[in-house]
Amino acid sequence: MSGKLLDKEKKSGLASAIIIGLSGAIGFEIFVLLNYAYFNLSGPSMISALIFCGLINLTTMLSYSELSAAIPEVGGEYTYTKVAFGGIISFMAGSLRWLASVFGGALAALVFVEQLGSLFSILLPSITDLILINGSLLIIGIIIILVILAVRGTEAASTIIVVAFLAIFLIFLSMSVTYTLTPQNIVPEASPGSIASFFATTAYIFPMFVGMRALVAGAPQIRNPGKNVPRALLVSTILLTVVYFAVAYIGVGVVNPTEADAGPLLNVAASRIMGTIGGVLFSLAGIIASVSSMGTAMMVQSSLLGGMSRDGYLPKVLQKVHKRFGTRYVAIFASSLCMIFFGTSGAVVFLGYAASFGSLLVFALVNLSLIKLRRKMPRLKRPFTSPFYPLTPFVGIVMSVLLLVFPLVLRDVNAESAIISSLGLVAIVFVTYYLRMVVREIDFDRLRVAVGGASFGSGVTIMVLGPTIVPPSLFPFILLVGAVSVIAGILNIVAARTKN
Amino acid sequence: MKISRVPATIIGVVQCVIAVIAMVFMLMLYFNMLQVQTIFNLPPELLPFYLIVLGLFSLISIISGGYLVLRGQK
Repeated sequence: MSGKLLDKEKKSGLASAIIIGLSGAIGFEIFVLLNYAYFNLSGPSMISALIFCGLINLTTMLSYSELSAAIPEVGGEYTYTKVAFGGIISFMAGSLRWLASVFGGALAALVFVEQLGSLFSILLPSITDLILINGSLLIIGIIIILVILAVRGTEAASTIIVVAFLAIFLIFLSMSVTYTLTPQNIVPEASPGSIASFFATTAYIFPMFVGMRALVAGAPQIRNPGKNVPRALLVSTILLTVVYFAVAYIGVGVVNPTEADAGPLLNVAASRIMGTIGGVLFSLAGIIASVSSMGTAMMVQSSLLGGMSRDGYLPKVLQKVHKRFGTRYVAIFASSLCMIFFGTSGAVVFLGYAASFGSLLVFALVNLSLIKLRRKMPRLKRPFTSPFYPLTPFVGIVMSVLLLVFPLVLRDVNAESAIISSLGLVAIVFVTYYLRMVVREIDFDRLRVAVGGASFGSGVTIMVLGPTIVPPSLFPFILLVGAVSVIAGILNIVAARTKN
Repeated sequence: MKISRVPATIIGVVQCVIAVIAMVFMLMLYFNMLQVQTIFNLPPELLPFYLIVLGLFSLISIISGGYLVLRGQK
């Protein structure tokens, strides 16, 4: 009896669940993703895309709620796909989630440098250039410091951060009442180009909402999760959408779409409305948010790699726990190296799209898992069931796919490079799975055929596309590279077949 | 169909050399050695894309070439 009471007291209620959801979602993304969306993609109609994002997020969060209530285990989407499909699908979900987290962490590192530069441009303008020029070194430095802290198991004070953020946003909104805003048309025009831009914007700013899954991941710590988690999700989504809408609306009303060089949208808007203190406050908020997000990303990545290693998908070394601090230090180091690699590239828009695409693919897999589990385990105890089934998971899947496709329709070169890179990394995921789970049971001939096919394909691609990309002086070399790849591919396939 | 060892080894070695060149070029791009980003007029936003493409190509080529070299030695 007393044990039950203690357990009940330990668990959080609806208010804490809402805080968990908000603290997961409100982060560095608002300080960076709005810039490209507003100045380059869709202008003021970005605000409508924010509302659309909130709605799409909610449909998939309902699927998350059902799955988390039915399978109250750590691991989130990796666990759900493992129960529903197992094998390659769960490995892919875990890997994509890890990749999205790496891209998100790298983006947070870039935001850290940008906001630090913004802060010093107000307080000490003479060293702003020094900060921006040495951005890569700063990124490496901050990630190394965070790795040491993460290895020591330091937890982020997420509740304090979310309350501080909401307070800063409220001050910003209340002070904007006295400012004369420029009216903007926030509804997208009814033209094919405008609709494509609208969807591309939705895809790009989507990571601003996905952090809400922290609420689902924390479901086992919430009292009566069957009721409280869906309620908290609904309230958090509405609150978040309202806050984002209001902040972005003010930003758009203060900063002209042609002022892209003035600086980050919200920082410029805060400086104009609140003066110097506004610029300082928003820069500090951006710095704290990015550092907190990097720390969270490292813990998520180490948890995912550890889980996949435990299930035999990845080498056991990733499970190694630090003797003194009790954290998976090898997994943290491995993930941090990837974050440094992408962070120091300085490609903000690429990383924004890449993080979004990874999350969208994971969302599609989670919705598929829900449909699969309803058929595979109809008698599974479900404290919460997603309303309007199968409409909600179906809408979630369709919207995820649409958001992946529309930036490509718009021919946004950043989106194209992000999706091709993501597909390339997915290919590595497949090869890794093949090596770990299939090859060791059969033999290396199938791998040889696969590599031969990839070599043949890359050779043909190089020979066809190469001459249109490289300067004429490099034609012979490119043709040689393509021909060697094609011949090597054929030889490998033939050799593997001959042996059989 | 039987594959002659010597040509297979030569192709394997050439492919491994190409893989190493691609990897070196990837590192040169990443660290902007000899100002290669400027020489090839690469927009910074597309840098990760080129790095991933070169990395994948190197990986595939080195495994494929390695197989052919190993086959030639057996």
